[in-house]
Amino acid sequence: MPRRPTRCKTMLNPQPLTFSPFARSAAQIASIHRDKRQTYKSKDQKGFPLSSKDKGIPKHTLEGKSDLSGSSEEEGSEGVVQADFVFFDPKPDDFHGVKILLQTYLDDTQWDLSGFVDLILAQTTVGTVVKIEGDDDDTPFAIVTALNLGRYKDHKCIKELKEFLLKVCQEKDVIRDLRLLMGEQAHDVGLLVSQRVVNLPPQLLPPLHDALFDEVSWATEDEPTAELRNSFRFKCYLLVSKIYKHKNANQKNNRNLIRRSGSDGGDGIVYIKPEDENFHKLSLWSFSFPMHTQQVETQEANYCLMGFVMAVETAKISTFRQQLQSLVVES
Amino acid sequence: MATRLMFENSCEVGVFSKLTNAFCLVAIGGSESFYSTFEAELADVIPVVKTSIGGNRIIGRLCVGNKNGLLLPHTTTDQELQHLRNSLPDQVVVQRIEERLSALGNCIACNDHVALAHTDLDRETEEIIADVLGVEVFRQTIAGNILVGSYCSFSNRGGLVHPHTSIEDLDELSTLLQVPLVAGTVNRGSEVIGAGLTVNDWTAFCGSDTTATELSVIESVFKLREAQPNAIVDEMRKSLIDSYV
Repeated sequence: MPRRPTRCKTMLNPQPLTFSPFARSAAQIASIHRDKRQTYKSKDQKGFPLSSKDKGIPKHTLEGKSDLSGSSEEEGSEGVVQADFVFFDPKPDDFHGVKILLQTYLDDTQWDLSGFVDLILAQTTVGTVVKIEGDDDDTPFAIVTALNLGRYKDHKCIKELKEFLLKVCQEKDVIRDLRLLMGEQAHDVGLLVSQRVVNLPPQLLPPLHDALFDEVSWATEDEPTAELRNSFRFKCYLLVSKIYKHKNANQKNNRNLIRRSGSDGGDGIVYIKPEDENFHKLSLWSFSFPMHTQQVETQEANYCLMGFVMAVETAKISTFRQQLQSLVVES
Repeated sequence: MATRLMFENSCEVGVFSKLTNAFCLVAIGGSESFYSTFEAELADVIPVVKTSIGGNRIIGRLCVGNKNGLLLPHTTTDQELQHLRNSLPDQVVVQRIEERLSALGNCIACNDHVALAHTDLDRETEEIIADVLGVEVFRQTIAGNILVGSYCSFSNRGGLVHPHTSIEDLDELSTLLQVPLVAGTVNRGSEVIGAGLTVNDWTAFCGSDTTATELSVIESVFKLREAQPNAIVDEMRKSLIDSYV
């Protein structure tokens, strides 16, 4: 099925074809609602149960993007679907949708994925689920959240996640840092979980990440107990993601090298999620590991799917947010 | 007794396995623990056979069978067909059929006496089903869904259907099938019963997300608590059946 080329795609690295009717309908979505609503749990509302249906006060609208939102219908050959994306707080009903999005989070290991999803959905103060407005199915298209590794360290899913990461890390130098990050420094580390359908419009990425990082900073002020407030003062974020790596690329070159942005020919890596490239450049360290789950057939047969773990300091996040804005504007 | 298990992090046990009173099919490629869970429950009583269908692991949705026979889609390879013929007991007739709707497990739900079929199934296929599986075939929908095999699961002793099935539909289906039916869910609220659960007359397997409430409903409607394993069950159909919600 021919991909729908849009202005924003020219800038990005080549990405795999969409493979399911679900993703195909997401690919036909042409516009984004200006009105991104965000929650603001004000200090007066401490005891107030958060109504998770709607995020309440429109915190900011994307006036600047209004021309972008109306104008991306270019080809009518498959019919262009208008859709308004809305950001919601995670709620227990999203269990099945989020579970599907996180199915291959840790490769094909059998782990407490249900427990992990429950953890994400229970944390309503930090975390966003992206859905389409007025969709009867109520399916999540994306999930983004940050979980404090220290706060949840006793949960089975987090223990299994740590075991898995330590097991797959093949690089001696990195494994020491990883162990430190997940062990002694765990209460300062946030696991940044960001998973979405393959071709969610990239115009959503800056507001999505802004939502996350803003919620984290609001949580440091608004959470009811001091312990919870401190749990969101992350010093470092840990990300588990996926990339396509060229089969001939030297694995040792993956750590701590500043990469030039550009086509995948430069460093032999194709990032499935475009913001991963920015994260990688700003990361403290990173490593990749081979995966057993087979993703969709890629256009380039020389690339193989690999898991990718990186650590990014909180100090670098503001740079990341700026870079993300420019990434999308250029496209 | 009902058992909870997972296939490679997926709770859709009914997709990767097919359980009847005479045999059990299990998909290849999953972890050994998936296969061994079935073995542990069933090994003494019925053969547990590892297979693929047309190279696919989603065997539960592609084939349909009962103690009398097994129907396979046209995508099944000759080797797979031969493997199944060799591994299954002789009284189970294994047949590959030419049907446009090749996901037979989604289109047909059956026990040893009655089958529910997709409304658009070929007339010829309906005859083959009646012939090979030894059942009476009814074209039906479940809660407005034509994929009857996906949205219901029934054995000779009871059945579970889509949660949105109306009382009238439940009564009608119960009369047709001559077994008690309950509208419920599996795998923590999933409506796709056929994919989440696989059952025969004395045991059931469902995904590990299934809550304790769902499990107790399954055990009670399929009458698994007091069930004894029987090699080939040849029950008289009860003439008067109660349906309860």
